[in-house]
Amino acid sequence: MTTLLHGKSRTADDSGTGAKPPRAPRKAAASRGGNRRYENLAALGFLGPWFLGLVLITAGPLMASLYFSFTDYNLIGDHQWVGLENYERMLSDSRLHSALRVTFVYVFVSVPLQLAMALALAMVLDRGLRGLALYRSVYYLPSLLGGSVAVAILWRQVFGADGLINQVLAFFGIQGEGWVSHPDYALGTLIVLNVWTFGAPMVIFLAGLRQIPAMYYEAAAVDGANPVRRFWHITVPMLTPIIFFNLVLQIINAFQTFTQAFIVSGGTGGPSDSTLFFTLYLYQRGFGAFDMGYASAMAWLLLMIIGGFTAVNFLASKYWVFYGD
Amino acid sequence: MRPLPGGARSSHRNRPLLATTAAAFALVMAATACGGESGSDDGVVELRFSWWGSDDRHANLQEAIGLFEEQNPDVRVVGDYTDWATYWDRLATGTAANDAPDVIMQDESYLREYGQRGTLADLGEFGDHLDLSGIDPNVAENGVMEGQTFGVATGVNVSAILADPQAFEEAGVEMPDDTSWTWDDYIEMSIRISEATDGEVVGTQGMTNENAFHVYARQNGENLYDEEGNLAFSAETLTSWFEISERILADGGQPSASEGVEIAAGGPDQSVLATNTGATAYFWTNQLGAVTEAAGRDIELLRFPGETELERTGMYFKPAMYYSVSAGSDHPEEAARFVDFMLNSTEAAEVILSDLGLPANLEVREAITDDLSPADERGAAFLADVEDEVVDGNPPPPIGSGEIVSINERVYQELVFGNLTAEQAAEQFIEDLEAAIDNGS
Repeated sequence: MTTLLHGKSRTADDSGTGAKPPRAPRKAAASRGGNRRYENLAALGFLGPWFLGLVLITAGPLMASLYFSFTDYNLIGDHQWVGLENYERMLSDSRLHSALRVTFVYVFVSVPLQLAMALALAMVLDRGLRGLALYRSVYYLPSLLGGSVAVAILWRQVFGADGLINQVLAFFGIQGEGWVSHPDYALGTLIVLNVWTFGAPMVIFLAGLRQIPAMYYEAAAVDGANPVRRFWHITVPMLTPIIFFNLVLQIINAFQTFTQAFIVSGGTGGPSDSTLFFTLYLYQRGFGAFDMGYASAMAWLLLMIIGGFTAVNFLASKYWVFYGD
Repeated sequence: MRPLPGGARSSHRNRPLLATTAAAFALVMAATACGGESGSDDGVVELRFSWWGSDDRHANLQEAIGLFEEQNPDVRVVGDYTDWATYWDRLATGTAANDAPDVIMQDESYLREYGQRGTLADLGEFGDHLDLSGIDPNVAENGVMEGQTFGVATGVNVSAILADPQAFEEAGVEMPDDTSWTWDDYIEMSIRISEATDGEVVGTQGMTNENAFHVYARQNGENLYDEEGNLAFSAETLTSWFEISERILADGGQPSASEGVEIAAGGPDQSVLATNTGATAYFWTNQLGAVTEAAGRDIELLRFPGETELERTGMYFKPAMYYSVSAGSDHPEEAARFVDFMLNSTEAAEVILSDLGLPANLEVREAITDDLSPADERGAAFLADVEDEVVDGNPPPPIGSGEIVSINERVYQELVFGNLTAEQAAEQFIEDLEAAIDNGS
């Protein structure tokens, strides 16, 4: 509070003396110092709410969950310190292992497919189609909607045993499966849903493609490089920072997938655990079984997994990401 | 960032305003983040009452609340309602934050969990404010644990087979005599109906639910849990139970595995009876109205198969839900008065009718019988019919047993998709349920 008052008085001072020309140089210096202080103050003021949010809504609960991960905590009663017991239990929890398997399959299949799709469409759009803005918006739309409850419900209908897909298949005489209700297909359907939300990486790719100087392509064309060579030797290397950025972001996102699986399976992770994502199982332990200590430990395991993957990504990036100069 | 000469002065002058705005903004944010507790100054006590359910229930309960407020101008009741799945997340987090609603709708699966952890008030302690003497003796003890009444039944339900006579007629299969049919009759009937209609109408939706197994276990002289909270059924009984589903499924008497998953997720409105694609399904009596309406046909209530075949009868009365009062309520007396109104007043019952089960207060149930819809009237008659056949109630389920619902669903799916045999499914079921109860205690 004192800083604030101090700052205020300085302002009054400055403006009071501002009319006298001879002192202009010194005053300007003082004023710049004052300005900086006010700017800092204003910055702090505007950052304040965010900072409070960070402490109260993010950092506080984060630390609390670290603590609870070492306790037996049922959410509505007292908690007891149990040391590493929750982490030990994970070793023998077969549903946790199956949740990890489901999540890894999802990440490793859907992220590359999604990025490939995004890049392919970005390149098509980059050719300067008429009505580009419209196409860009249309393709971007699923990214905005894909994680939403409404779309997940829509997908459950479209891919249901009597859903749109099977009606179309039936028209061609093919007997379709229940795409979300059969354990062999449910995860695949969710992967398709994720690939479909390629719009966000696509827009970033599109921006990246625009940054590649046209002269490289022209020079390569003059030297007789065909489009495939131009793609592998100009587009891909120039785009590696963007690919890297998208890869890191989408891997982190994919590991945290929750809404789609929750809605499509009605919160069960079924049929027979085929869509039991890590986060969904975490939620079931914490809020379904009141096993909040274990759920907290699971959250930290996920954090370590994501952190590990991101670290590996950054280390490996030295060898394949090309930043130009 | 160098400002234009002309603008330098004005932007300079604006700075204090900027800082003040930012500070004020921060204060407002902080204040709204911490605030929220609003007391009323007009001497009216505000209660929060939480429940789960459908839109119909929300409307009914809001209307009942209105009637209570008319008679009790010193109390205002705020409804806090959602669907079943999110209800328990909200209640758990609210309770953890010491912000539980004053009056809470509870379910058997969670009552002990909350009660024994000291979050619910003993309803027996409210004396004149809450009269529990009129409650149906069949369910009066269900909310009592170690001498404390953590919940009181909102109403009574009984498990039953719902059957569509029109579907039977179209298939050319006679309706079973429910006083004597056996489990083999049930299996045979299901398969015959499916065969007769070429699968257009399946014989049964299937015994997918752990409540149905509960009846079967009781018929075998067993139960789900004993008084100590241990599992009280044998692996053999559960295996033979799963074999019933296996046999029906093998011959197409119930929907295919993946159809079954979708039907189960859809609730009463998506059941085979509602869509006129099946002849029988398992439900609670208070769901008869909703199923009848969705089906657009008259649906009949049948006793479970095997009631006279095995060791004893298995059907039982179950409180549909419970009213509980939070131990941390600031206004326990008013909360008790509200529960008393909901339980014992004919006015409230006339609005709610059978939505929370048939009224637990016997006099109230009698008084509203004429107001019931034809479907609910049949439910009430069915309840009276089986009254003499029901042997006993069930011990309160142990903490952690709420997971039985998801365990059953998971194991049952593994069974119908052919990943587990009946014997393996039974083994898995018991292992998972024991682990859940171990974790809970």
